[in-house]
Amino acid sequence: MRAIDAGLASCHTCGLLLHLPTAGHTHCPRCSSPMHLRKPASLSQTWAFLLAAMIAYLPANLYPVMTVVSFGKSQSDTILSGVIYLFVHGDWPLALIVFVASVLVPLLKMLALLYLLITVQRKSTRYRQQRTRLYRVVELVGRWSMVDIFVVALLAALVNVGTVATIEPGAGAIAFSAVVILTMFSAMNFDPRLIWDYQGEQ
Amino acid sequence: MSMPEHAATALAEMAACHECDELHRVPGLAPGATARCHVCGAVLARNPRGGLGRPIALYITALILLLLANMFPFLTLEIGGRKEVCTLFGASRAMYNAGMGELAVVVFLTSILAPALMMSSGLYVMLSVRLRQSWPAVRLLLAWIGHLEPWVMLDVFMLGVLVAFVKLGNMATMHTGNSLYAFVGLILVFAAASSSFDRHLLWHMLGVPGRKHQ
Repeated sequence: MRAIDAGLASCHTCGLLLHLPTAGHTHCPRCSSPMHLRKPASLSQTWAFLLAAMIAYLPANLYPVMTVVSFGKSQSDTILSGVIYLFVHGDWPLALIVFVASVLVPLLKMLALLYLLITVQRKSTRYRQQRTRLYRVVELVGRWSMVDIFVVALLAALVNVGTVATIEPGAGAIAFSAVVILTMFSAMNFDPRLIWDYQGEQ
Repeated sequence: MSMPEHAATALAEMAACHECDELHRVPGLAPGATARCHVCGAVLARNPRGGLGRPIALYITALILLLLANMFPFLTLEIGGRKEVCTLFGASRAMYNAGMGELAVVVFLTSILAPALMMSSGLYVMLSVRLRQSWPAVRLLLAWIGHLEPWVMLDVFMLGVLVAFVKLGNMATMHTGNSLYAFVGLILVFAAASSSFDRHLLWHMLGVPGRKHQ
């Protein structure tokens, strides 16, 4: 049996179970967080952060994340060209990790959230376990996309040796970190229990 | 609550899966045991071995390592006879100097501030529970830790260091600094600390004010 069918709500913050009166707001007696049966406005907030992330995804990939100026020449790198550089000049296991973290993960994460939102709204009853697991993975791997921002920050910190070479972060870096943060917020606002809520025609 | 005492006790042994809402009876777990939801497989509760002594010791170690990671050079770059020293904080400062204050905040938050806040408030909460003292704001801080956790990106930062190493490898010589070693240690100790305590177990230990049984 599910908690909601027993008239019980569990606190999002500390997990305390409580009989929730149908009307009115209650605060958790253990941690003082507001109590709800489900995360409030979960779907619309997940949608809002996801759409914002999708919009930011364009400049994140089109604008350079950094510009290297060395000996008077300047070369700009986007997320994708940075990965290609690693494949050509670095060792490919690392390039593969960066490709997964900075190209595959953000893209698949947005597609996964889109799929979860649509299936919940269409009241799908199929693949519930798999969809819950998908959500778990999405929540877990999203932060790894931030690696590119750290690389740019470290390079910019290290390479500012006067006239020899400088590395400047580009506008793409702001957009890219916005994508990572917005998709993290989107995933946090999604309530996976909604996947299980529609019990079918009875 | 107008609930009878025995009903509250029965409810305290129940838990709802946070991912599919299935109700479970979760009695006290044996040390080292993990309870999983039988419907979706999510972790319901853990009871790590070693009690609170282990995570307290590991968090103290991690805080010392975080301090060390901020005190010495992190990486040194040698290019054309000139040396450029970068500290851990230098990564955020470089973003700020380049006119990207937003990114400076993001980098500072995820690599220094969030880990520092999470570890110090975790230590405070665990010491309060362990010493059976009801220090102020313990519940507020424990609720905070849950919100901070996703923004602690020490491991992701380390991957960034590796990539930076490779990217600069063929245009300059890189040297590792003492802080980098402290940072590697910090990641290992922090991971060990995270797996050696469970937030929900701490909530259980704190209990519900005014209720005899948790």
